[in-house]
Amino acid sequence: MLKNNNLICFNSFFFLFFFMLINFFFFVYFIMNGLSVFFEWEIISFNSMSIVMSILLDWMSLLFMMFVSLISSVVIFYSKSYMNSELNLNRFIILVLMFVFSMVLLIISPNLISILLGWDGLGLISYCLVIYYQNLKSYNAGMLTALSNRIGDVMILMVICWVMNYGSWNYIFYFDFMKNDYVMFIISFMIIIAAMTKSAQIPFSSWLPAAMAAPTPVSALVHSSTLVTAGVYLLIRFNYLLIDMFFFKVLLFLSILTMFMSGISANYEFDLKKIIALSTLSQLGLMMSILSLGFPDIAFFHLLTHAMFKALLFMCAGVIIHMMNDIQDVRYMGGLSLYIPLTSLCLNISNLSLCGIPFLSGFYSKDLILEMVSFNSFNLMVFILFYLSTGLTVFYTFRLIMYVMINDFNLMMIYNLYDEDYIMLNSMFVLLFMSLLSGSFLSWFIFSYPYMIYLPFNLKLMVIYVSILGSILGFMVSNMGIYSLNKLLLSYNLSSFLCLMWFMPNLSTYGLSYIYLNFSQILFKNIDMGWSEIYSGKGIFNILKNYSVFYNIYQMNNFKIYLFSFILWFMILFIFFFI
Amino acid sequence: MFFFILTNNNSNKMFFLFILFFSTLISISSNSWFGCWIGLEINLLSFIPLISNSKNLLSVETSLKYFLTQSLASINFLFMILIKFSLLKNFDMNNIISIMMNSSLLMKMGSAPFHFWFPNIVEGLSWMNNFMLMTWQKISPMILLSYYFNKNFLIFMIIMNLIIGSLGGLNQTSLRKLLAFSSINNLGWMIFSIMISENLWLFYFLIYSMMIFMMISLFFLMNMYFMNQLFINNMNFFIKLNLLINFLSLGGLPPFMGFMPKWIIINFLLINKFYFLTFIFMMTSLIIIYYYIRIIYSSFMFNYFKMKWVNLLMKNNMSLINLSSFISISSMILSTFIFM
Repeated sequence: MLKNNNLICFNSFFFLFFFMLINFFFFVYFIMNGLSVFFEWEIISFNSMSIVMSILLDWMSLLFMMFVSLISSVVIFYSKSYMNSELNLNRFIILVLMFVFSMVLLIISPNLISILLGWDGLGLISYCLVIYYQNLKSYNAGMLTALSNRIGDVMILMVICWVMNYGSWNYIFYFDFMKNDYVMFIISFMIIIAAMTKSAQIPFSSWLPAAMAAPTPVSALVHSSTLVTAGVYLLIRFNYLLIDMFFFKVLLFLSILTMFMSGISANYEFDLKKIIALSTLSQLGLMMSILSLGFPDIAFFHLLTHAMFKALLFMCAGVIIHMMNDIQDVRYMGGLSLYIPLTSLCLNISNLSLCGIPFLSGFYSKDLILEMVSFNSFNLMVFILFYLSTGLTVFYTFRLIMYVMINDFNLMMIYNLYDEDYIMLNSMFVLLFMSLLSGSFLSWFIFSYPYMIYLPFNLKLMVIYVSILGSILGFMVSNMGIYSLNKLLLSYNLSSFLCLMWFMPNLSTYGLSYIYLNFSQILFKNIDMGWSEIYSGKGIFNILKNYSVFYNIYQMNNFKIYLFSFILWFMILFIFFFI
Repeated sequence: MFFFILTNNNSNKMFFLFILFFSTLISISSNSWFGCWIGLEINLLSFIPLISNSKNLLSVETSLKYFLTQSLASINFLFMILIKFSLLKNFDMNNIISIMMNSSLLMKMGSAPFHFWFPNIVEGLSWMNNFMLMTWQKISPMILLSYYFNKNFLIFMIIMNLIIGSLGGLNQTSLRKLLAFSSINNLGWMIFSIMISENLWLFYFLIYSMMIFMMISLFFLMNMYFMNQLFINNMNFFIKLNLLINFLSLGGLPPFMGFMPKWIIINFLLINKFYFLTFIFMMTSLIIIYYYIRIIYSSFMFNYFKMKWVNLLMKNNMSLINLSSFISISSMILSTFIFM
């Protein structure tokens, strides 16, 4: 029943779509002519200080803005039907629009203050969107999200302080001149940590699966393509500075481990949105690692194609969740490809694009990444983990496909599987179109000449070997019959370690807060409700009350006692003095 | 008071009222101690007919008690005057004589060690008589006190005043006794202000009597003598608000009028480093404000009587109440315009 004023959905969809077309036009123009435009607006100029707002438009920012506005327009149109029964739909759409605004501000800014505005805006609004459903799980997830992002905000604030050494906050001017400076060393360290918190790399990766408590359109927009890629985008902008630094190698190590860990953890998960979140985390690790190996444009390319198919994947998950009557557990689903052909078409294409099946959009970026890793000589661990993670990606993807679409139907006896929600389908088709074509389209635009890669035959086919192995394993693992024994439980410690993301969420939740909460309980019981009640709360009241009662006994006395006591006082004075 | 006497068709009391006023003037403007004593005696003589109402046994008893205590204090005062005159050249005696004269004046006022008659008598009088007792009757003893006081003795008495005023009032439910103990507390502040300067005492006394007048006229109009009469459901909200403002003003809470004289006194105390005395002033003020707030809070929150025979919802003439609220709230700020 449509009881909301849905004009806001239509209006914002059209506005953002139009904005996307403008950005597309300008992107094509700029990249064909090699233009980049730097606007400066002087807000106040006062003696020797001037406050200037600057905007940098080059092909990277225009392209990213085009993708962000495309995904957000499609997501808003999708949420017209998904959040249909929501009473405060206006609030939701306005939050999403503010999120898009913060992201655009982050993308176009060449100076750190407006990056901070966009960054903080992203963190705050993603918190508001994660806690949108008001229950305990969303509250905890929102707290985890906001506080992890907050660390990155603090890091950027400190970068602002340090970069004031150079006189202005436009960082792009200082990369050439100050590369070996101590200040730049510190700045690069802090920027890397900020990007790691936003993009959920290893020490800070516990918030991304937890943030799946948000509504599905929010996950599609925020946690797949825009918020988590803000960190990667920042590092791409700072790439010229960071490329020789030591911390980049640390980032390589951590992002490869992130990729590997989330790939393993996704294989143990049974919640649909968490599997997709962990796959996002794995791809983010991939982006960060190829960035830290020294290829920023390939990282950007993968960022964009990943945004397309991941948003599509989240939207399909949303349709499935709606259909399953809000069940997100994958063990209840099965055989859906027979009943919802169009949605399973989108699901299939996005999943296969994620795996890197040839000539879908994911193939162009992923295959290029793997071939660059093989071609340039890196060490053995990098090589093994890259290929292993690719295999794991295919593994959990095929497991997901088997569970959701191919195995037996596991839902309850009364069900209604429908595919006719054309609003959601239309929005998914837009992304389907882009997810099929954006790979080739982007590679023709971004790379004006192809990379020269010369590999031996088996190394070239290593990708295919690993993918086939992963798919076979995925197929075998998901053949759960009624009598099959779960041998994972025999190695309980190992499997819980691998499943619970290597126990890192404990690090940022339970580990940090346990000591303080314990201590504060002791303080509260002993001091607040203990001694300070006697010494300042009820204790003083009791003392005063007792004094007053005691005084009252004196007051209720015989009248001549008062007169006599007066005379007695004088007699004492007389006797005292006159003797 | 005039209004009350006029409405009760009792013009005899008007006669005694005039003599009361003149007696105070005699007492404070005489240039001999004997004249002071004469004024005090006439004061006593003319106040007794005001408070005694032969139809009511309680008020007769009250007037008798009043007579006994006040006459005892006057006798003592006369005696001390005569001893002082006879031992005029002996300056060693100054200390003790001043203590004794101050004690008798303190008993006249109803101040601390000799205050036991005060709550009793206040309990037996009607509101208008109380107003007279609490304000006018204090003028002449205090001015006489300012002529010849013993600083150490008086500071000790002040501390006792403050403590007894605050502690005694904690356990009371009768509004008259509550105001009696608050009056004892304020006496402590007033005696200290005498020791600072005459002008300051006058200022404090005027503001105090204005506040007492507002409170007592409110209680008089409502005919309320006990605390549980405050919990009435259909009492007009502005009357309760006025009550709140007046109580807080009496306690000395900042934006209201009653804070001003206390502020000046505290200023003097701190500049001249009377730290311990400041502490006692502050703490006892806190206790007093506590029980005022207890009354007001309950009266705003609990409404369990609904009186059908009295229409308290819309008083006929609200202008007095509104005016008094306005004065209580804005006096401090307006006074800065006056003394600019």
